[in-house]
Amino acid sequence: MEGVLRMKENKKVINILIVMSVLFLSLIVYITYFELFVKEDIIINSYNQRQRETEENTVRGRIFDKNGVVLADSTKTETGWKRTYPYGALYSHVIGYSSSIYGKSMLEASYNDYLLGVGKGDSIFSFGNMDESGMKHGDDLYLTIDHKLQKLAEQGLGDRNGAVVAMNPKTGEILALASKPAFDPNEDRLGANWQAMVESENHIFLPRATQGLYTPGSTFKTVISAGALENGLGDLVIEDNGTVVIDGKPFSNTGKKAYGEIGMKEALAVSSNVFFSQVGVKLGEDKLKELARKFGLEKDIPFDIPVSKSRFSYDHMEETDMAAVAIGQGKLMLTPLHMAMITSCIANNGVMMKPYLVSRIVSHDGKEVKATEPSVLYDVISPQTAGAIKLMMREVVESGTGKSAAIEGVNVAGKTGSAENELTAKQEDKNHTWFIAFAPVENPKIAVAVIMEYSGSTGGKLAAPVAREIIKAYLDKS
Amino acid sequence: MYEMLSSIMKYIFITIIYLFIYGIIRLIYLDISSMGAKGKQVLKKGGKLPYIKLINRRENLGFKVEETYIIDGNMELGRSNKNDIVIKDPYVSGKHLKFIMKDGKVSVQDMGSTNGSFVNGMRLGSDPVYLEDGDKIHIGQMDFLYVEK
Amino acid sequence: MLIVSYKRPVSLVLLADILAFGLLFFYREPHDFYILGAGLLVIGLIAGTYLLIVKKGLGDEYLFLIVSMLTSIGFIMIYRLNRELGFKQIIWFFGGIGLFFASYFVYIRIKIWDKLMYVYAFASFGLFLITLVFGSTIKGSTNWIVIKGFSFQPSELIKILFIFTLACYFNHSDQIFLNALTLKLKQIKLKGRIALMVIVYMFMGFLLMQRDWGTALLFFIIYITMMYAFDSNMKFLLLNSLIAALGGVAGYFALYHIRVRVETWLNPWTDISGKGYQITQSLFAIGSGGFFGTGLGMGRPDFIPEVTTDFIFSAICEEMGIFGGVAVVLLYFILAYRGFKIVLNTGDRFKKAVALGITCMFGFQTFIIIGGVIKLIPLTGITLPFISYGGSSLTTSFIALGILQAISKLGDQDGGSIADEREQESH
Repeated sequence: MEGVLRMKENKKVINILIVMSVLFLSLIVYITYFELFVKEDIIINSYNQRQRETEENTVRGRIFDKNGVVLADSTKTETGWKRTYPYGALYSHVIGYSSSIYGKSMLEASYNDYLLGVGKGDSIFSFGNMDESGMKHGDDLYLTIDHKLQKLAEQGLGDRNGAVVAMNPKTGEILALASKPAFDPNEDRLGANWQAMVESENHIFLPRATQGLYTPGSTFKTVISAGALENGLGDLVIEDNGTVVIDGKPFSNTGKKAYGEIGMKEALAVSSNVFFSQVGVKLGEDKLKELARKFGLEKDIPFDIPVSKSRFSYDHMEETDMAAVAIGQGKLMLTPLHMAMITSCIANNGVMMKPYLVSRIVSHDGKEVKATEPSVLYDVISPQTAGAIKLMMREVVESGTGKSAAIEGVNVAGKTGSAENELTAKQEDKNHTWFIAFAPVENPKIAVAVIMEYSGSTGGKLAAPVAREIIKAYLDKS
Repeated sequence: MYEMLSSIMKYIFITIIYLFIYGIIRLIYLDISSMGAKGKQVLKKGGKLPYIKLINRRENLGFKVEETYIIDGNMELGRSNKNDIVIKDPYVSGKHLKFIMKDGKVSVQDMGSTNGSFVNGMRLGSDPVYLEDGDKIHIGQMDFLYVEK
Repeated sequence: MLIVSYKRPVSLVLLADILAFGLLFFYREPHDFYILGAGLLVIGLIAGTYLLIVKKGLGDEYLFLIVSMLTSIGFIMIYRLNRELGFKQIIWFFGGIGLFFASYFVYIRIKIWDKLMYVYAFASFGLFLITLVFGSTIKGSTNWIVIKGFSFQPSELIKILFIFTLACYFNHSDQIFLNALTLKLKQIKLKGRIALMVIVYMFMGFLLMQRDWGTALLFFIIYITMMYAFDSNMKFLLLNSLIAALGGVAGYFALYHIRVRVETWLNPWTDISGKGYQITQSLFAIGSGGFFGTGLGMGRPDFIPEVTTDFIFSAICEEMGIFGGVAVVLLYFILAYRGFKIVLNTGDRFKKAVALGITCMFGFQTFIIIGGVIKLIPLTGITLPFISYGGSSLTTSFIALGILQAISKLGDQDGGSIADEREQESH
């Protein structure tokens, strides 16, 4: 009797041991989980004074353009080290600012650990990076940006709000990334104007190139053409009388101009709404959705600074929706960066490359800590389709709406776009104007996307020349 | 200077601590398996083997010793870990006593111990002596009863 | 000198201590010779104690070994954080070892432990009353007694008395059960159970009055666990669990303090500078160490509040890494495992109960505090046994360890070994 009871007790004791083992195991699992998945987001909290400690003992690394021009510097003053931006507002939406009061933004934030010399790949023994005074130096960043192009982009925008994105279609390197309006990120100027900037109706802090969402307008017809070609509608010919009614709604060309019987190449060259709205309907809801998905809409774009997701927000599409989307209107919104990526994709034989800003990271003592290699983001369309679109876009510049982008001796391809906005309902003249382009057509080296807000016109007159100057400057050098 | 030392040390500390944990687990495991083995022995032979049983009170002895030791073939007894039966009695020699099993009969032989081995009060010489059920064996501070079915 | 190897874990503890104390020598400017001296004494004491236990066969060898590694990690971190407290902890360690041996021998000598149930109960109430009347409130809990600058927590001592009380009860209750008598006895047993429950809830009531939530929780868990193991009546167990659950919910709604703790556990980020300060600083520290830690003296565990007591584990994770933290958890687990082994090997019910109580005390206390500082469960203010700074905590832990050690020796001799069982069968 005694023995049986003891055995029962012992069994229960073993159960208790099992419970305790599970509890201890849960401790270990939770600690490991915390270390692997949670801690990154937590330790950057401003209440964690360790960050501040590291910063005070480190000279922040510098940021250079691709040719070694200093875009962000750390200079020594009597009161300590100061972060300076020689070009002020030009890079405020790319590099951002690093302030003890206002925090960090853009590249200053996303590459903070490298700039402080504690990024992944930085050696724990950092003796080579110390100077005589015992201060540690962070790593320097070399960007893919070409300062000359960035300046041209900014000049091109003038006093209009908007954005310019230039990239290398074969590699994904971002050559220029300009947004206007911009602000001076130097600490003293930041402090002076902060409240005003935060409250401004102009949304000064919005980096339009990467986070501004606009309807693409006619530039989206390039995408629709790709869809049409890949779905057997390449030989479509339509009678264009200037207007077509789809499901009770009229879709007209600019100025209701009629072009008679036209095929896709001419339709793109003259940007015929009548043609493309019908193409949209013929493609149908499923094909349009698939097209959008292939080109990366509604997907996150991996990049060195935050990028808004482009939108294609339709559950169910009526015929009028399909028609609207086909001419780049409706619930369709893209960022200028994404537009440049789409342009590059077409230029690069249908392969969309992953965009990147930081070309390499070099430690203070000259060691390369990290280098970015070009990588493919999506295989979107076939080389044949891309080739056909390229020729169509060439025609736009040759004889169509994009003539002001033409450069002597260079084959330039492009597309104009005019995006409706809330002001358009009242006055036509306040459209956003787009222009996308790449050159040379036979071996594309640069792709550009330009958008100017509330500028009226169809993009041909205002946006195209900006793209032209950038392409010209880049090709003159290479 | 301190930073470098500390940075190197952190890897060393972790290594030492985990070796420690491993060492302890290993020892515990060895303990369990030797107990299990003894248990298996008991179960297998089912009590048909002869054994020696400790007569003294264990808590009066200052060293670890079992109540019974099964004589399963030739076995050596002594303080050294190399023996089959290891008893850390300071009055027991490194190699003290040997049990010899032949044709089902067990004899015992002193291995030249310092303090001698005694069977039923008689000190053993260098020759083996046969054991019979009920014999008393004295070595070191311990008295054992030899039990044979 | 012995060869250092994993085959002799004691050599590894000594090596770790030599290296650590050596490193700490360089830590402060000017270099601190006292720490070297203290280090040598510690190493000597650990080696001596271990040899004593092994050579003289004073019970289980592993208990002290594990504890020596834990306390070593403790001194090292505490000295690094606060020189004065580091030395104090080492002094408490010496005292603790003394108490360890004292408890061991006293426990073995005295045979009437199982008959003193009311002595324990009255002593505990006495201590509670004293604390209530004369006690000082430190950091929100009124469970300290301060005499001439020395502060100690009676609730720590009461933990042990509590375990003994329960063990007495469960010992007797079983005997009653065996005598197959009538209703009368069942009534007595019922009364006995209720009496015990009353006593236990009074204990917990005192603790709750002192705002010592962690210890109250621990007491309750020990009570439930021992009831589960030794009382065959499952209904009673369920009844108690239900009461606890209801009490917990009621406490949450009725008591502001408890609500705060639960909310802070769920989302400390809404009030980082206020209620969430402790746990967020703890998490910052744990996240700043990486797998191997920043290295001793290279992190900033000094940003954590209560870092030498409740949050010592966070400091360990910051400077010794996740691997260090996990190692500590593993060490406590092996300690608990060893404790359970001793429980299983003990025949006498009273001793079994005491051993189970002590093992559960170590095990659950560790889980509760580590779980709290990593935000797995709400935070409670109890100490990490053997590592947290604290005279009361350290001494109580060593006394408990000594008792456990004694039981491991005694249990081995009466009814634990295989040969004995075999003998019983053949008679």
